[in-house]
Amino acid sequence: MSVPPLAETLAGVLARHTAMVMLLAIFLAAVMVSDAFLDPRYLGNVLRQAAPLGIAAIGVTCVMILGGVDLSVGAVISLTAVVCAVAMNGQPEALWPAVALACAVGLGVGLVNGVLIAVTRVSPFILTLGTGIAVVGLAQIYSGGTARGIVSPGFREALNLRLGGWMPVLALGFLGLAALGYAVQRWSVFGRQLFLIGANPRAATLAGLPVRRVTIAAYALSGLFGALAGVALLARSGVSGSLSGQGMEFQVLAAVVLGGTTFDGGRGGIPGTVAGVLVLVIAFNLVNISGLSFHVQLILMGAIIVLASALYGRLGRAGA
Amino acid sequence: MRVALSPAGRLRRPLPAVSGAAAIWALVLLAAVVAALLLPAFRSPENLANLARQSAVLGLIALGQTFVIAAGLIDLSVGVIAGLVVVLACALMQGDPGAMVWVSAAMLALGAGIGTVNGLLLNLLRLNPLILTFGMLSVLQGAIFTFTDRSVGRPSPQLSALANGSVMGVPHSLILLLAVAAALHVLLTRARFGHHLLAAGGQPEAARRAGVNVERVRLAALALAGFCAAAGGLVLAGRLGTGFPLAGAGLELDSIVAVVLGGALLAGGRASVIGTLGGVLALAMLSNVLNLMGVSSFVQTFVKGAVVVAAVILAQARRGGQA
Repeated sequence: MSVPPLAETLAGVLARHTAMVMLLAIFLAAVMVSDAFLDPRYLGNVLRQAAPLGIAAIGVTCVMILGGVDLSVGAVISLTAVVCAVAMNGQPEALWPAVALACAVGLGVGLVNGVLIAVTRVSPFILTLGTGIAVVGLAQIYSGGTARGIVSPGFREALNLRLGGWMPVLALGFLGLAALGYAVQRWSVFGRQLFLIGANPRAATLAGLPVRRVTIAAYALSGLFGALAGVALLARSGVSGSLSGQGMEFQVLAAVVLGGTTFDGGRGGIPGTVAGVLVLVIAFNLVNISGLSFHVQLILMGAIIVLASALYGRLGRAGA
Repeated sequence: MRVALSPAGRLRRPLPAVSGAAAIWALVLLAAVVAALLLPAFRSPENLANLARQSAVLGLIALGQTFVIAAGLIDLSVGVIAGLVVVLACALMQGDPGAMVWVSAAMLALGAGIGTVNGLLLNLLRLNPLILTFGMLSVLQGAIFTFTDRSVGRPSPQLSALANGSVMGVPHSLILLLAVAAALHVLLTRARFGHHLLAAGGQPEAARRAGVNVERVRLAALALAGFCAAAGGLVLAGRLGTGFPLAGAGLELDSIVAVVLGGALLAGGRASVIGTLGGVLALAMLSNVLNLMGVSSFVQTFVKGAVVVAAVILAQARRGGQA
């Protein structure tokens, strides 16, 4: 089944704009509910809130463009947040080594996922659910099941600092990583390969693309971004429990799918994901403002995962 | 649509999954002998009865999952359906014996209803079943937490007796599991529905051409899985004695692993009730032995994850070997 490239791009563009339209709509709705959404300080805070979710979603987007999925990301966030806090141990000089260690751990989990999926070609959905449970076990063993570790002095202060009085450093980090991810996805050979493999794995193999290597790299990247999200979460909350990232995989998946990167692969991209993340975070804020139970978020995300997948699936079929 | 499967068509007779079932049962028996020799506590009658009771909940859920996987689908919502039933059954029963019948019936209907919704959405939206049931998992867990975030209510005394009692040393829940398994075994191997299910799972296009209503078969498989998950949830409510909102967490993966260990193909078209029972017993024995050895629950979590990974890789190798 060959897909004409023009129709392919058209569907892609349409999908990307769908996410932007949704973002605009929910932002306008939010402004009508509360004019706090016009306050730059509040918007900066929304971006800061979104940072851990957004950073993790960038990595998962790469995997999903490839036609895979990474549901171990919530567990990676928990594990790396704990590893980072324990390695910092309240020492200022341990800050960078601790962050590097957390990144190495995330990268390691991603590599395991990538190698297992590339070599055995098992269903990434079930496999990463399984590695996710194993990683939760590791986080519990490492932390003893409670909050552990003390962050270095200056760590939280630096990342939560508001530049120009409104833009938190953490939010800038999220946007910077998103821009970097976009550049890689758009202009690098690796980025093109992700789309080609995701759109048609067999054709990509026949064309001689290094499918295995790209698959391993994509999952490794997802693990690394999971680790950065863990560090961001640690900076935002300051506490590292073995369950701090629990359930994040639902949010990440909802955000990515909402952004137009579907489960089928070959479509979507990081700008859509950023829009999806913001839609989700604004929606959570609205749920809070309206006084609904925090748990309504879970219902909302499940509905989004199903409906957005169905919508984009239909758009994709119409475009193809 | 009552077209019999034509032997001249491209539909081959579904492969019997007996070899996989025999393998898991051989492994279970071997492991049981080793455990009985090394751990005296393992072979005590109380522990064996406890093992059977532990198997009953997962067993009922995994039996439903067997049909879903045979149809070439996967249902990630069965664990949380069981969890929802635990919470609702306890909240509605409040320990009242008079509420046993109507609440149990309502819960079984609820489970089958959620499964039917899964099936309708699957056919209507043409979604990947993993994404669909993962979304359903999130919705239902949210619904449970919105209803309550702490344990509520109490099961009726009959339900506690069903889950914890025994007759002549044989736990009631084991009898229930075996009865359901026997009925489902006949349904899968002897009834027209079973043949259609395996055909639709193995080669949906060929099955469709042979006149099988693939959409209806998938819907029925998901509805059955929801029903079985609700039955598992009722037994779990009896075991726990209270409506714990996270009671069903992880059971969906355990059920998939049990079915796969039992010799099923994740791609569909091959599954066996007897094999699934072996897979369930293998998982229950693993956690039982780890408990007896005093392994911490954290290490057990890690082992569980590793078992899931090993099981899907095993399933993939089996598929490669067959193709």
